This record gives sequence, C-alpha cells and structure tokens, in this order.
Amino acid sequence: MAEHLIHSEQEGWALATVMARRAVGPAAVGAALELELRDEPVAVSNGAIRAIGTGPGAWLVIDTEPDHGFADALQDRLEGLASVSDQSSGYAVFRLSGAGARTALQRGAAIDFHPDVFAPGSVATTAIAHIGAIVWQVDDSPTYDVAVFRSLSGSFRHWLEETAAAL
Amino acid sequence: MRYSVFSLSANALSGHRRWKRVWRDAEPAEAYDVVIVGGGGHGLATAHYLARNHGITNVAVIEKGWIGGGNAGRNTTIIRSNYGLPGNEPFYEWSMKLWEGLEQDLNYNVMVSQRGIVNLYHSDAQRDAYARRGNAMRLHGVDAELLSSDDVRKLAPFLDFESARFPIMGGLYQGRAGTARHDAVVWGYARAASQRGVDIIQNCEVTGFVQDSAGAIVGVETTRGAIRAGKVGLAVAGNSSRVAALAGLRLPIESHVLQAFVSEGLKPVIPGVITFGAGHFYISQSDKGGLVFGGDIDGYNSYAQRGNLPVVEDVCEGGMAVMPMIGRARILRSWGGIMDMSMDGSPIIDASPLPGLYLNAGWCYGGFKATPASGWCFAHLLATDRSHETATAFRLDRFESGHLIDEKGAGAQPNLH
Amino acid sequence: MRLPCPYCGDRDAQEFSYRGDAGPRRPEGEDGLFDYVYLRDNPAGPIRELWYHANGCRNWIVVTRDTRTHEVHGSSLARESGA
Repeated sequence: MAEHLIHSEQEGWALATVMARRAVGPAAVGAALELELRDEPVAVSNGAIRAIGTGPGAWLVIDTEPDHGFADALQDRLEGLASVSDQSSGYAVFRLSGAGARTALQRGAAIDFHPDVFAPGSVATTAIAHIGAIVWQVDDSPTYDVAVFRSLSGSFRHWLEETAAAL
Repeated sequence: MRYSVFSLSANALSGHRRWKRVWRDAEPAEAYDVVIVGGGGHGLATAHYLARNHGITNVAVIEKGWIGGGNAGRNTTIIRSNYGLPGNEPFYEWSMKLWEGLEQDLNYNVMVSQRGIVNLYHSDAQRDAYARRGNAMRLHGVDAELLSSDDVRKLAPFLDFESARFPIMGGLYQGRAGTARHDAVVWGYARAASQRGVDIIQNCEVTGFVQDSAGAIVGVETTRGAIRAGKVGLAVAGNSSRVAALAGLRLPIESHVLQAFVSEGLKPVIPGVITFGAGHFYISQSDKGGLVFGGDIDGYNSYAQRGNLPVVEDVCEGGMAVMPMIGRARILRSWGGIMDMSMDGSPIIDASPLPGLYLNAGWCYGGFKATPASGWCFAHLLATDRSHETATAFRLDRFESGHLIDEKGAGAQPNLH
Repeated sequence: MRLPCPYCGDRDAQEFSYRGDAGPRRPEGEDGLFDYVYLRDNPAGPIRELWYHANGCRNWIVVTRDTRTHEVHGSSLARESGA
C-alpha cells in the first residue's frame, strides 16, 4: 500500500543565520539567546525561538511567530558574540509528515534517517536532488522540516511531488 | 615475417598453427644504450622510433606487469587533433598524421578508423568558442568544420536537439578524428620494436635508480636486478610521481582516477565520436558494438584504478541529457585508470634535472591519441638531447617560467583540468 | 566513498569539494612559491588532504586517506588541525 506524504510550505516564519565570532563558544551564544547551544547537528528550543545546528559555531535561528524586526533584535542580543544575517526571504521551509515522510527523505538524501540514528531534534545539512537542504526532525510521527534556498524551492517542490507520487 | 595476404593465405592452409610469436619476451641484459621504463603505448612507441628513426636498437623497454596492462588497456580509444593552443595543436596533428600511416609503418592492423568527432555546442558563447578553436586548427592546417544544428541532425538524428536546458545548436567537427584499437596499438609497436632488436622485458619493476658519483642517472634497479643504461626514459604516466620520487624528484603532477564504461554490444548506432558540450560526457561505439563512454575524473588523488558512484551518476546524467536512448542500454563493464594530472592539463616531454634521466609524463586523460607522436618526440629527445619541433612547449620548467599550456584556463588545480 | 565529517558524521564524497594535499604551506615571500603552487608529493599511500563540506556544514576538513585503497583513517576540522 502506498505510503502517505503530506507536505506544505511554512508561511510567515522569520529565519536568521547566527555565526559565532572567533573564540566565542556555543555556551556564550546560547546564554545570550537563552538556549542550550552545542556544536552538534541538533535542534534546540526555548519555547520562543529554535536554533538548528548547521556547523561548528553556526545556527539557523527560527521564530515561527515573529515580531517585526526579528533579526535586528537578535543582532542586539548577540552584539560582540556572533554575526546575524536575516534569511527570512532567503530560505523556504517545507514541512513533511505522514507515514511516507521518512521514505521520501531516504530517497532524496544519502544519509541515514532510521529512528535509531535520526530522531526528533536531529539535524542534517545535506543535499537532496542536488539541492542544498537543512533537514530536522520535529516529532516522531514523523514530521520533518526542510529548509532550502528559496530560489530553488520550485525545483525542490518538483522533486517532492515526484517522490510523493512514487511512494 | 611480414603480415600480408600471402602470409595469411599460407597460414590459413596450414590451419593457423605456424604463426610465429608476434614479439620476443626478452631477459634483461646487463646494459643498454637506452632503458625505457613503462611498456605501454608510449614506451613501446618510443622504442620503435628510437630504432626506426635514429638507429638506436640497443634498447630495453621494462614493464612492471605485462605490456599494455596499464592505461593502454584502460582508455576509450579516441584519436583526434582538435586542440586550440599553439603549444598543443602541431603536436597532436603530428600524432594524427602518424596514426594515418601507422598500419603501413608497423605492418600491423591497429584498426585506425577515421569516423569523425563532433563536439556539440549548446549556447551562442560556446559556438563562438568552438569557432575560435576551429579557426585555430585551420591556421595549423588541420581540418575543422563548424556544423549547424541541421548538419548535426544528419550525423546523429537520435540526439536530444530540443532539450530546454541544453538545446543542440551545432558542433565542431573533425572528420579525420576517430578511434583505434588500443591493444593492437601496443602489440603493433611491440612487434615493430622487437623486430629491430629492442628487448621487451615484462614483470620487471623499477625499485630505484643507479647514480654515478656526479649524480647522473646511469641505470635502474629492478625486481630482476640492476640494468645499466646510457640514458633512462620514464613513460609511466599515472605513476610518474612514484617513479620520479625514486630519483628524488617532485613533479607538478597529481594522480587521479578516470572512469570509463562500455555497454552490451548493439547494432551500429553511433556514427563517430560525440561529445556533450554542457557537461562532461563523450561516447563512441566499438567495432564489437559496445557503446564506449566516459566523463570527468573523480576529482581526488587516487592510485586505486577504480572510482566511485557520484561520477557514475554524473556520466549517466550527461548521457541521458544528450541522447536519452542510451537509457535503454545496459552497462556491461566499467573501469578506472590512473591519470598523471599535470598542473596545466598538458604533458611533459623533457629532460629531467638529473643528467641521464628523461621524462614523458603528465598526459592527463589525453594520452592515447598522443601515443605515436609521444613516442616519436620522446625518441627524438633521447637520441638528440633536443626537443622535437612539435613538442618544444612541453618543457618541465614551463611551470616555473610561466609558459603554461592551459587549454581550460583552470589554473594550478589538477582536478579541474 | 564516504568521508567522516567531524561535525556532520559520515557523508558521501559527493557533498565535498576537493582541494588536494594539505601539506604545502604558502610561503611568506617569493621563495618557495613555485614549490607551493606546482609541486606535489603525490604519494601512493596515506595522504592528508583538504576537503570542503560544501553541501554540509561548509567547513574545511582534513581527511587522512589511503590513495591506493580509498580507505579513510580519520578527519578533523582544518582550523583545529592547523592546516
């Protein structure tokens, strides 16, 4: 029986990349944001904002119900600690859920999405259909969010629809 | 024994049981005038032309495995002379001319087939670049023709002309290009050299060099003992750095793996050699019917003679983009060869800094077509201590002096050439 | 071939760009510049080499790999290994 995949594009989120300055560790950046940041590919949240680990000293910070001036406010909190770059219009975020979500990702990326090694909170920055993608697992239903550069979102949607149709 | 219709008839009448050995498998002697390291096409061609052109027959070709077992057996058999730069074009054209007379010279059927090559272009800018290259070829007296899309359709109607991303707008055509049978080339040169007295010594790997008190190279240490030599020539592309390191030399070369593929045998379908201009993909059809194709090098240093899947995917994507019907063919075999990727994408035929040691190296993935001229020019260098007039640009010191021959303009990054 | 990224874990080599031998050091002046730009050891065996994780954490890493077998012996972030 065909596996089910629901996908939709997130609207209204604010996103920003945060890159720690030289010699500033994740704990200091985390303290300023009230987040427990580590240099690992994991997602952490404090209820208000969420940080997706994308590299050593680098995070994609997301506010799903942002106030106006999200990135500027972030920059103020991180003054002297990290560089902030507003990516709200730079990235498109797709939400994948349903029984077929994991299978779809397994067909697109050359990494392991088995629940033993990729669970809620896990993050992978990788490529899907040659498109750079940041994938994180939201819950174990399973639900995943996938951020891709917005200019490639049409191509990504095409891959998603083709993959969903073939499940 | 000369091969002819008479020798063929006579041997047919005696049940083909009286054919003589094609070449002599020699034991190493104590000393030679010239020792050539590497029993591939280039090394054997060098020995042949040393004997034929310069009368130097006290020559040994030493090979660590069996002759033709390295890159001579791992190429895609294409011959062409469609280069753009003045340092390259006369040399490759000289090679093309030698291919055209090779079977008569060697008295051996190396199956030279001038079936033509077309390099497809897919944009206005690429057409201009190919027109320029074609003009450069014609200025060197080489045949080149700029084809329109309709011209290409007549040659190869099965290509995907209307592809939205990579529409085929035409191609640069060289009619004298084509293919030759790689292992016949090796055996043809081996036979011709052997008949003139050259010793071909297999299973003889170089383990070091013999130097005199002044530091000059006067012989080689091998797994079959020391062999003294007036001059030593290296023709070991793929392993040039390893062998040169035995003499303490560092070269402007990295070794990279290049993969190639052959499909199951099919009826004749590909008229000549076709190259895709919007990605790296080229294809021809062997006389046995297999589609022979390949693309980019894998892109990392390797001596493993096998590659990885990303390039397999990339080559197949290129094939599907330019000729979708290839999706119906099944791949029979694939293999990897080790390329001497030089720092400017062009070869080296020059004396080394050590007296007595000469280099024939850096062929990147273009060595097969160069086999005859490489042998001719290397023999000229070994015999006269001067570069042949078509190979004066292939100097080892060009990297230091800035006289690079960089067809792609990629700079000193070997995996981009 | 999969390369062990210190941050991301094992990833297909396709995600990386290759720079080559991590050994050569850019000299301060002109002396040694030719060696640095053009000459390579090109070893058949273990080599420390630079890879950029372009489709991943976007960090330069140093991988120790055997060029005869493609066996990978380890990796580290280039900035931490002084490459």
